[in-house]
Amino acid sequence: MLNNKLNRRTFLKASAATTALATIGTVEFKAFQERAQAFGEAASNVPSVCDGCSNKCGINVYKLGEHIWKIQGLADHPSSKGKVCARGHGLVTFPYLENRVTQPLKKVSNGEFEPISWEQAYKEIGSKLNEIIKKNGPNVVAYNENPRPTGTFYGKRFLDAIGSPNYFTHHSACSNGRDTGFKHTLGGVPSADVENSKYILFIGRSYGDGIKPSSVQELATAKDRRAKVVIVDPRLNNTAPFADEWVAIRPGTDLALVLAMSNVLVTGNLYDKDFVEKYSIGFEEYANALEEYTPEWASKITGISAEKITEIARDMAALKPNAVIEPSWRGAFGATYSNGAEAARAVALFNALLGNIQQSGGPVFKAKPELGTIGGPTPQPSTLERVDAEFKLVPTNHGVSAVLPEKAKQGKIKAAIFNHTNPVRNYSNPEYMTEGLNALELMVVIDVQLSETALLADYVLPEASYLERDHVISSDVGSYVFAQKAIEKIHPETKGSDEIFTELAKEMGLGKYFDFALEELNEAILAPANLSMKQMRDSGTITLALSNKIGTVPTLKTPSGKVEFSSDAYKKAGFSPVVKWIEPSVKPSGESVRLITGKQGYHSQTFTADIPELMAITEVTNGERLWINTRKAELFGVKDGDLVEVYNDVSTKQVRVKVTERLHPEAVYVPSGYGRFSEHLKTAYGVGFSYLDLLPYQVDPIGGTIMAHENIVKVRKVRS
Amino acid sequence: MARYGMLIDTTKCAECYSCRVACQHQNHLAKDETWIKLNTIEKGTFPNVSFQVLPVQCQHCENPPCKEVCPTGATYQTEDGFVLVDEDRCIGCKYCMVACPYDARVVHHETGVVLKCKFCYEGVIAAAGSSGGADATSGASSNLEDIPACVNTCISTARIFGDLDDPNSTISKEIIARKAALLRPDLGTKPKIYYVR
Repeated sequence: MLNNKLNRRTFLKASAATTALATIGTVEFKAFQERAQAFGEAASNVPSVCDGCSNKCGINVYKLGEHIWKIQGLADHPSSKGKVCARGHGLVTFPYLENRVTQPLKKVSNGEFEPISWEQAYKEIGSKLNEIIKKNGPNVVAYNENPRPTGTFYGKRFLDAIGSPNYFTHHSACSNGRDTGFKHTLGGVPSADVENSKYILFIGRSYGDGIKPSSVQELATAKDRRAKVVIVDPRLNNTAPFADEWVAIRPGTDLALVLAMSNVLVTGNLYDKDFVEKYSIGFEEYANALEEYTPEWASKITGISAEKITEIARDMAALKPNAVIEPSWRGAFGATYSNGAEAARAVALFNALLGNIQQSGGPVFKAKPELGTIGGPTPQPSTLERVDAEFKLVPTNHGVSAVLPEKAKQGKIKAAIFNHTNPVRNYSNPEYMTEGLNALELMVVIDVQLSETALLADYVLPEASYLERDHVISSDVGSYVFAQKAIEKIHPETKGSDEIFTELAKEMGLGKYFDFALEELNEAILAPANLSMKQMRDSGTITLALSNKIGTVPTLKTPSGKVEFSSDAYKKAGFSPVVKWIEPSVKPSGESVRLITGKQGYHSQTFTADIPELMAITEVTNGERLWINTRKAELFGVKDGDLVEVYNDVSTKQVRVKVTERLHPEAVYVPSGYGRFSEHLKTAYGVGFSYLDLLPYQVDPIGGTIMAHENIVKVRKVRS
Repeated sequence: MARYGMLIDTTKCAECYSCRVACQHQNHLAKDETWIKLNTIEKGTFPNVSFQVLPVQCQHCENPPCKEVCPTGATYQTEDGFVLVDEDRCIGCKYCMVACPYDARVVHHETGVVLKCKFCYEGVIAAAGSSGGADATSGASSNLEDIPACVNTCISTARIFGDLDDPNSTISKEIIARKAALLRPDLGTKPKIYYVR
């Protein structure tokens, strides 16, 4: 077949590739592929998991010889359902990226990095950590990651072992607002049963930009079934092809819209009274608070007509319980506005008014298989107070990582380990992040490249990339999922975080808590299901016949076990127990605009910016450009393609503009995947800018978010 | 004998570019060589705006102008209607690039030959010939209709592949159900990619 046929083209390519291979580590992905193809190496495949975003899609990794050729989605995996997005395809070049960190690095006195042995790294980091803990107690140590099963298991266990409660994820820049609002109303974040819904309202959430392949497939099915799909967004996003209507809302006013829609349901007696009576508490107080939030009131705030607001609410009520406001992710209330967490509460409660919780076409809590635990000595979670304890409502399995630099400056955090995450670029204003993290006595970064965060570290520990090692088995919707090693390490001195934490713990005298191999841990995890590692290696994803019990309202994980229209937790934390309108913290004038952001379908925030195939798409689409509304552009004297300065008190950045009708005139929009400033990134360095460059350091006291869209800028032309 | 074609439902295309990268890896293309181009057109004024994404690649025409102008016979058609390029006969004259009304042809950077979408014919033929068995060497699925890399990966199932001559194939039924149409049928090229717009 094809792979054994050595035609002219592949022969020429093979010669070039063989030469290039002499300098392994700087060879482009394509050269590896070509070499394998030309020499007719046999194709094989290994089921594994994509690392391109939090969906962790099941994939089949096809190889030619030992080299990755391509991937396909695993049909059984709940997120991929047989499909892979561009980011997933692009990411398979990760192991072959140029400028990977290939051995442990230590920062020496002149600020440069010097390669050291693993032995020296463990010894020095271990003794420094022990010294800091001895002097200050264990709760001055923090661990921060963008969670993946291996880092989460080993990182948390390491914190437990040393006695620190300070576990942090990236969610203060992602979905803390949504997660906080949903936690205190519904007890958690359900997913929307879009496939079976008759009316889907998206508020700031775009399936076509923040892609989960199974969700997009479900939306396509809903469209085939003639579901009504409405997008509420200041930008006509890439879910538009699936939508019947775009409601171009004024940025930051989604809460007002949902409050008014709720008012329509309550005052018009259009809500599900039976559901509210049986499955909720605090309704009366909530209903009273809603009285002032009429569609007319919301119209002035949102720029949407009172008639349209009423129409959406009534249309959804007519189709209840098979109508839903999609719970969203980062979008309008994940980490974007001062009223984000409150908007999330309002959304959760609007859904409850429709009586759609756990109903077909509504928000559904899906079943996940049980994970077994490893025996032997197990460290207990610390009972000490978290360093971010002032955020009483934010889920502690996320924490508020954006405050870590501030806590470092205050001396409350003295040592931090960052794994698979890049806070300096992605969490908040980079200058602020840098200044704060520089106050740490010990900073350790585990990464594959020298990210902006890694550059600040005292020690950088080189990670084996996702396809070069086995990972901890996790449970996803209905399935056990195993991210399996697909290829041998490209750089032999790189390691997985399981090994790094195990060795570091041993060095610190805590080895008894890590006295097991990864394979033993995975066997223990699978034990409740009587599955073997052989089965897991063969399939990658194993789906069980678990029922989501659609139609039965479960006992919710709220204090009352019911939907909480009024929350004691909010009251105790010093906030209103019922939802109320909160103004956005900043507002644009005619001269200034709000800087907003969002994901692009072919980038995973800035994580994929150094992938050559994906940045090539940016190049052909001018994907890094700043969007500006046509009439606003005229007002500012700016034409499509002009170079402009975007500026405020925080910073000034230059970028070219895309003039479009697809954006609210009070906002400018920049995709979130750009602005990498570590010179070690060959492809990503210097392309575009990040909204975070101009964002002041700020944290929402309710949801613990950076309020990424509470940012006012001006735009002026530099040249055509 | 089959007559393979494709349907692309642009009302389900989110411009995600997954097809482009899947195709690049399937066919060992460089990062800036692409056999699939996405054209996006914005219409209307704020807030009454829409946009459409039109993915374009080789249409595997029944009357391919590229074949007509090829001086060496490098461009040829198979019995099943695939329009293919014999890389060893291509002299890189680029006549085909000028002749193709769909801008589907791409010069290979290093060899100078002109290439384009092949409808992943190797896998399709292997699957058709093996009565449903998977072709291990091409890494293809056993389902012939799921073989072209762009179809296999499409996150919104906007692409359908199959035999246009088989009235019972999914593609034949969907072309009728969704009122799919060809791109520039007036040119007489008889393309085989149907579009829902």
